Amino acid sequence: MAAAELRRPAGRAEPGRLLLIAVALTFLVLFLVLPLLAVFVQALTKGISAYWAAVSNPIAWAAVKLTLTVAAIAVPFNLVFGVAAAWAIAKFEFRGKSTLITLIDLPFAVSPVIAGLIFILLFGAHGWFGGFLRVHHIRVVFAVPGIVLATIFVTFPFIARELIPVMQAQGKDDEETALSLGATGWQTFWRVTLPNIRWGLMYGVLLCNARAMGEFGAVSVVSGHIRGMTNTMPLQVEILYNEYNYAAAFAVASLLALLALLTLAGKSFLEWRQPELRHAARQARDRTRRENT
Amino acid sequence: MSIALRGISKQFGEFAAVKNIDLDVPTGALIALLGPSGCGKTTLLRIIAGLETPDEGQVLFDGRDATLWPIRDRKVGFVFQHYALFRHMSVFENVAFGLKVKPRRERPAAAEIRNKVNSLLELVQLEWSGDRYPAQLSGGQRQRVALARALAVAPDVLLLDEPFGALDSQVRHELRRWLRRLHDELHFTSIFVTHDQQEAIEVADTIAVLNRGRIEQSGVPSEVYDLPTSAFVHRFLGQVNELPVQVRGGRAYVGPIDISSTAAVAGGATGHIALIRPHEIEIGPEAAGWPAIVTAVRVIGPIVRLELCAEGQPVNEPLEAEISRERFEGERFGAGQRVGLRFRRWQVYPTGGAAA
Repeated sequence: MAAAELRRPAGRAEPGRLLLIAVALTFLVLFLVLPLLAVFVQALTKGISAYWAAVSNPIAWAAVKLTLTVAAIAVPFNLVFGVAAAWAIAKFEFRGKSTLITLIDLPFAVSPVIAGLIFILLFGAHGWFGGFLRVHHIRVVFAVPGIVLATIFVTFPFIARELIPVMQAQGKDDEETALSLGATGWQTFWRVTLPNIRWGLMYGVLLCNARAMGEFGAVSVVSGHIRGMTNTMPLQVEILYNEYNYAAAFAVASLLALLALLTLAGKSFLEWRQPELRHAARQARDRTRRENT
Repeated sequence: MSIALRGISKQFGEFAAVKNIDLDVPTGALIALLGPSGCGKTTLLRIIAGLETPDEGQVLFDGRDATLWPIRDRKVGFVFQHYALFRHMSVFENVAFGLKVKPRRERPAAAEIRNKVNSLLELVQLEWSGDRYPAQLSGGQRQRVALARALAVAPDVLLLDEPFGALDSQVRHELRRWLRRLHDELHFTSIFVTHDQQEAIEVADTIAVLNRGRIEQSGVPSEVYDLPTSAFVHRFLGQVNELPVQVRGGRAYVGPIDISSTAAVAGGATGHIALIRPHEIEIGPEAAGWPAIVTAVRVIGPIVRLELCAEGQPVNEPLEAEISRERFEGERFGAGQRVGLRFRRWQVYPTGGAAA
């Protein structure tokens, strides 16, 4: 069906184009669609009731809740940080700007396992702040705060990285105009800057969210794998899998995959709406042109 | 509101953008800051607006030190070359922006805002465009919206940074005349930045020519054009022919033409050049001046430009002369014709120092 559609606009066969599309589609099916299907097929091998039992298991639910909680803390935090960092980098000149950009990229460069270990070194029982935390009965490592910290660290760059090029390309003219018209800095941000960056910001949030829910390495190091307490969904999947409880493992994995698919659907929805707006503008423009002639 | 700059300097890293600038802009004046790119004119405008802070010197608004006032307290309207319209707002919302962000007790009622915006859109002849978006307007229309938006907050000063730079020449010409009319009607003080000498001469009451961060000369347009005080200003304000001055027996010559009457070269100073505008070259019979051959003729509407190779001059550096179309119709100069040149006016400058 796809091939038929492709041939129609071209009018004649274009072997190069078809070959490229075939290669891309084959890879997509082999490495993305098949594995994704396999997750759902495996999850359902023992029937719907077994699937439902695995999914409604309180320990599985605890993992789902923890994953959503962590994402709900990490994403807003990185949202604020990402906007602030991108704003500073795009709109101001200051010493150490390039160092800041490099630092923002650090979590991309460092292995997540090392990211986890950093927090053990800092907040673990024998870490730098271990004594202080023990005295005050604060648990960071092997508890929810540690998982949140590790997740924030790993998802640090997503929003800032998405926004910096957008804001740099837009320059400062709009903001300076708003200020010259008497707007306060706060009004300028809400009424001018934020609407200008909203698409980039939403992309950044979606990517950040996907990673926050899916992170394994860093979280694995700081979590302690306490069932029903500090296991996020990816950790729960691994534990079940290692216990040869395949159906349950894949059931939880299918939930995680479902969350990822929801995120992607959200992204496609945004992409679908944006051209929609552009299209509306184009139609209006054409109408103007017709009226003028 | 009158504006005065006192000893303004601004560095960007190693680069001195403006150096020790003094400038007075009386209330109601329309002044052009003219210069090549990188001369500091935009930096100066941004310092007046409060978008940059000078390293040294003072900005005075009506005699009060405004150097450190934040931009939103200065009551300046700023118009950018690329309009800087808020693209997610309709034209109406763009123009209303400055009124809607006022603190609650100063903010006009919604109906009042509506009236004000509509009358401003009428003023810029865009009353039909209120619910359009900037992307749906042409460049000239966008710039008029930007002007209406700046005027909405009733600024005392209007600052325009290359306002017509991104427009094609027809629209540009219209907008210049329109800006001039607007200025005369509304009596605000305006400063605009341009690199286009014709624009400056056409629109402004006063021109300040900037070069390398300094004001080379300022004055009314005709004065700056006719009596440039440096070779830089002379070159920048229009086409010029540059010819070396030779000193022979205590008199100064360009080719065979004696220019001693205005050239102060009595001290035998060598290394001077004479700058002569194309319309200051007079073309007559060969015997009556500096012998030359017409090498090219180009008719440009009401004027005709001739390229001339004068005797003793390098062939690849022809002189340019301009004559009226009427005169050309009468005499029919053609390529290869031999003529004699004389100069109606010229200015002599030392070659060192004043180089641009």
